[in-house]
Amino acid sequence: MSDHAILVKDVGVRFRPYLDRNPTFRRSIGKREPRVAEEVIALADVSFEIEKGEAYGIIGHNGAGKSTLLRVLARTMRPNTGTVEVHGRTSTLLQLGVGFNNELSGRRNIYLGGLAHGLRLAEVEDRFDDIVEYAGLEHAIDRPLKTYSTGMFARLAFSVSMHLDPNILLLDEVLAVGDESFREKSLHSMRELLARAGTIVFVSHSLSTVEEFCDRALWLDRGQVRLVGAPSEVIDAYRAAVSSAE
Amino acid sequence: MSTVTASDRARLSAWRVYVRDLWERREFAWFLAMGNLKARNASTALGLFWWILNPLMLAGVYYIVFGFIFSGTREGEPAFLAWLISGIFAFTYTSTAMTSGANSILANSKLLVNIRFPRMILPVAALVEAGVGFLASLGIFYVIAWPVNGIRPGLSLVWLPLAVTLHTLFNLGLAAATARLAVPFRDINNIIPHLNRLWMYLTPIIWPMAFIEAKAQWAQNVIQANPLFPYMALYRKALMGRELDPLNIWLAIFWAVVALGVGVISFVRFEGNMVRHL
Repeated sequence: MSDHAILVKDVGVRFRPYLDRNPTFRRSIGKREPRVAEEVIALADVSFEIEKGEAYGIIGHNGAGKSTLLRVLARTMRPNTGTVEVHGRTSTLLQLGVGFNNELSGRRNIYLGGLAHGLRLAEVEDRFDDIVEYAGLEHAIDRPLKTYSTGMFARLAFSVSMHLDPNILLLDEVLAVGDESFREKSLHSMRELLARAGTIVFVSHSLSTVEEFCDRALWLDRGQVRLVGAPSEVIDAYRAAVSSAE
Repeated sequence: MSTVTASDRARLSAWRVYVRDLWERREFAWFLAMGNLKARNASTALGLFWWILNPLMLAGVYYIVFGFIFSGTREGEPAFLAWLISGIFAFTYTSTAMTSGANSILANSKLLVNIRFPRMILPVAALVEAGVGFLASLGIFYVIAWPVNGIRPGLSLVWLPLAVTLHTLFNLGLAAATARLAVPFRDINNIIPHLNRLWMYLTPIIWPMAFIEAKAQWAQNVIQANPLFPYMALYRKALMGRELDPLNIWLAIFWAVVALGVGVISFVRFEGNMVRHL
């Protein structure tokens, strides 16, 4: 058994925006006006590995392919080339409130969110009280989600994700939710996950959080791996590149 | 701890694994369907009653139009209202399955992008939602048919489970097919309502069998080739005790297998590419 949590090899993802996105019948059937699709290369020859128990940060410019990479790791998007191996129960927090329905109560949404992420009904029931308490929403749990403030919504979503009991957590820019105390609480939960030999992959624009929290960092630049190493080292190189570009 | 490898291609070819994954997620499908059922009319005063009221009001409109204004078509059908309602309820199940099937992937794009699960869950949930509404509407069939047409529940009701099961499998195939088509071709959402309306007029719903029996043989053959025809015959047998040509049982099985086969296979083969289109 390897010590890798995630093994990514030669992964490439290409989009053909004009042909792949919203092709109408006319565009796909019609012979005239042949639109030459300009291929967008989101990821090219990306290879790296993440060890078990590691906190792994991914940084890069907007449009560098970070979100695409997380989708590939979550295996919701099939790469055009290469392979992705994931060992463990993966939980994704790429967006907040996935599976939630605004019309329904917080209670109902805990069930929906938990089941959507792959929990069994009995497991959701077992964890229900903890989820509510962690989110600090005891008073509002039977109110429709649409009456929640942004912070309450985020706390509920994050709490559900933290109770999925993952070995691997994929996170995208969501730490900046809730107030300061909730932020502390979520960092604490993530450290607990790491202490249990869990793995966290973390995409962020907040370089200081990556530096403080991650064991290693990867700098993604226009779909390619620019540098992998200790966070401080990678961040320095990234900052140097940014300032020289300006 | 489970070890998962990410070869989607290998997984897609493994139908048994796929069906098992799907079965393991059945609680999710159920909660999704019930959540949508509840949410859809959450802010209306009558709420869930709309599931029964909508087809009922549709039936009311057609009853006025074809029962009184163009009353020529109803001739030869003594229990026209019961005939009309049973037809409309069954047809609504199919048309809802198609429209909400087509929406099931697009409306849940957030789920698709973020979580890995067998995508068939979504058309299945759409179908469950439509099916629960349909069963609820069936419950009031006799409330109308008994006092108006004197049609009481009888022994022929033993046919109902077969009718509902085969019709549901047929509808699932349609929901999967429209879901698959709607992802790359959003245009489908504009086409479906018109197709549905045409389909309804070609199905024995607002006109009784006597209406078509007076027509030429070729016209009868065309109507018989309508996949919904055998399901209507089954429902009329079950609910109204009408005669049932055994051929219609085989036709109902045939169309269910065809729709399910084409719909589900084309859906699952396309699954891995869905996120690229969202």
